[in-house]
Amino acid sequence: MAPSAIAAAGTGSEAASTDYGDALALRERRFAAALLAPAFLALLATTTFPLMFLIWTSAFRMDLAMPFTNGFVGFENYRVLLSDERFWSSLLVSLVYTGSTVALQVVIGLALALLVMDMKRGQGWFRLIAILPVVLSPAVVGMIWRTFMLAPEFGIVDFLSINAGLGSQNWLGDPVLAMVSVIAIHTWQWTPFAFMVLLASLASLPEDIYEAARLDRASAWQRFRRITLPLLRPAIVMVVIMRTMVALTAFAAIFTVTAGGPGTATEILNLYAYRKSFTELSIGYGAALAVALLIVTIIISGILFALRRAK
Amino acid sequence: MTSFTPTRRTLLKTGTAAAALATFAPAVLRQAAAQDADLSPYKSAKIDWQQTKGETITVAVIPASYFENLIALAPQFKELTGIDVRFEKIPPAQIRQKSVIDLTSKTGTYATHAADPMYYALYAANKWVEPLDTYLNDKSLTDSAWFNVDDIIPAWRSANGINGKLYGMPYDGEVTIQVYRKDLYDAKGLKPADTLEAYVANAAALNAPNDRIWGAALRGVAGAGQNMYIYPSIFREFGGDWMKGGKLTVNGPEAEAALAWYVDVMKKYAPTAAANWNWPDIADAFSQGTVASYIDAHSSASVINNPEKSKVIGKVAYARWPKGPSGKRTTSIWNWGFPINAALPDKKKKATWLFIQWAASAETQARTAHRFAGPTKRAGVNRTSIWKDPDYIKLMNGFGPNFVEATMDALQHDTDVDWRPRVPQWPAIGDTMATAIQSALSGQVTVKAALDEAQRRIEPMMRG
Repeated sequence: MAPSAIAAAGTGSEAASTDYGDALALRERRFAAALLAPAFLALLATTTFPLMFLIWTSAFRMDLAMPFTNGFVGFENYRVLLSDERFWSSLLVSLVYTGSTVALQVVIGLALALLVMDMKRGQGWFRLIAILPVVLSPAVVGMIWRTFMLAPEFGIVDFLSINAGLGSQNWLGDPVLAMVSVIAIHTWQWTPFAFMVLLASLASLPEDIYEAARLDRASAWQRFRRITLPLLRPAIVMVVIMRTMVALTAFAAIFTVTAGGPGTATEILNLYAYRKSFTELSIGYGAALAVALLIVTIIISGILFALRRAK
Repeated sequence: MTSFTPTRRTLLKTGTAAAALATFAPAVLRQAAAQDADLSPYKSAKIDWQQTKGETITVAVIPASYFENLIALAPQFKELTGIDVRFEKIPPAQIRQKSVIDLTSKTGTYATHAADPMYYALYAANKWVEPLDTYLNDKSLTDSAWFNVDDIIPAWRSANGINGKLYGMPYDGEVTIQVYRKDLYDAKGLKPADTLEAYVANAAALNAPNDRIWGAALRGVAGAGQNMYIYPSIFREFGGDWMKGGKLTVNGPEAEAALAWYVDVMKKYAPTAAANWNWPDIADAFSQGTVASYIDAHSSASVINNPEKSKVIGKVAYARWPKGPSGKRTTSIWNWGFPINAALPDKKKKATWLFIQWAASAETQARTAHRFAGPTKRAGVNRTSIWKDPDYIKLMNGFGPNFVEATMDALQHDTDVDWRPRVPQWPAIGDTMATAIQSALSGQVTVKAALDEAQRRIEPMMRG
């Protein structure tokens, strides 16, 4: 939107002499461009410029530990990246994390929404309570889960597990359990978002179709499968797109809960880029990892948007 | 009849006066408080403390009692030198990154900061900090007889030096020692371990998870300053050498034996949760009586002797690190030191040096330790002379039998400057090793695979 307004203001000058109406329109456009300019410049300075700088940095070797080796290396960082096993394994962790959290959020969110739709009383309260996890900072959520919920012997989850006869588990110390834990935490925090969106669109579905279906003796499953799901499709796809983008770039919760551990079991790509840049101080390579994450995110959301348009 | 009608001018005057009063009143009050303190021990130094009067410097420290005590004395420093010190408290997890960002951008935000000794190689390679020798040898800046740098614990000075040049002045430090429950050991007739083997045997004898007592605990959480703080001692005790043949080597038979020992102790005799524990968690568990022994910093003694939280006061004793198969004992060499930021203008550098000299002087060390008025005293003073001061020894022995002896033995006999690989790439190496140790501990990969993988990752880091 912003670039087109600027462009419009720029090309307006030829039309200026024709008549008063055009001149007025031109002034209007100039005024609009002037109003837009500060926001546009701020956006440029805070998002576009840093992004360009990141891509620029990724073409350098910038290693604070060995300043004498710094210099322009072109695509060298990307060549190294493609043969870096830890890059591929962290990408895989990212994809597993994103895929499973998004699927769980949509399924649980939809189930909850369907359940709550039929609630006669207390719907408002339920919605209010359900939204609470969303407003918490992911870092705080991470700390709470790490200390109160998942700590062996002392945590609530472990307490339940012991009482259920499953025994005490090392929730964050075992590679598989740690992955399950971070997925559960993300799902716990963000399912309410999917739930709220789906509940809102469920409420807006026309009642008469269902009535017609009931008259035709469609079963509950058939009504859900043939009416509710297709009608909810745009909302579901929207939830999937938004949650996928956020899950791919998740950071705070995993960082505070496992910091990518044990070993590298929960090290998502974002975390690996962070470690490379700020712990290992290889800024150039870290930037290349961040660009790789950007590319992955763009591809995946491109596919999702294409799916949304299809049909 | 004259009535008082405020003109513009009088209003301005009153306003200015009021503003001045509001600005200076707290300073005046502070000064009044500082005047109570006797500055003559400092004034006996033959230097002009006031030579950079009016400067303001910012010092980054971590929120810890040993720095809080120093901050409490800052008004005395202000009165002595006329230099304003602004302290910024940054948690230990972030202080390294924040100072590296400040140093690399050359903004000179932090005149000095509490620095990790493992970072001096990186700082020196980039010329981010100044060698302190220049300042120590400058007669207008340092009275060497008064400051007596040789009194500062030699192990810490060597840890903060690169190629014989000192880059950071030790302020507070620690060594790792054995901490054990004397009552439990006595009940079973056990003695504190003299060898790593005996340590495992003791842990096995006392390990009774069903009675909620575990035999031992070591730092398990991944981090260059966490599991990679304990493992290097074991590695060295098993005869490991970081720079084998001049090449940084982290795998090999000694490393495998050392890591296997660590994993074995943690898996068999430590609480499951210890895999994610850092030292405060270990000290907490120990003070609740659930851990029979641990090897960690001597300074954790203040946590396990905290009367409000600890259930084991009076039941604790201390010993040096057990010997490894190589016959060596290797403790940690850790201290928070103060370097001088090279990006500062000359006058600020001098002011920073005066601050460092003041903070590291025997007088300030004593005033923040046994002579400190507040409730928390320091356990990591930087002066050999203070460690021999009967008042200080009396205070430290309150932590339990053999505390001062174990600490002093560790400091004098068990230190090893090559305890961890001191290279500019340390941040990357420390993190890689921390990940490898945790992978092995969690069973994600075998000990050998974890170390070989770490070696494979570290090799390209060392290539120019």
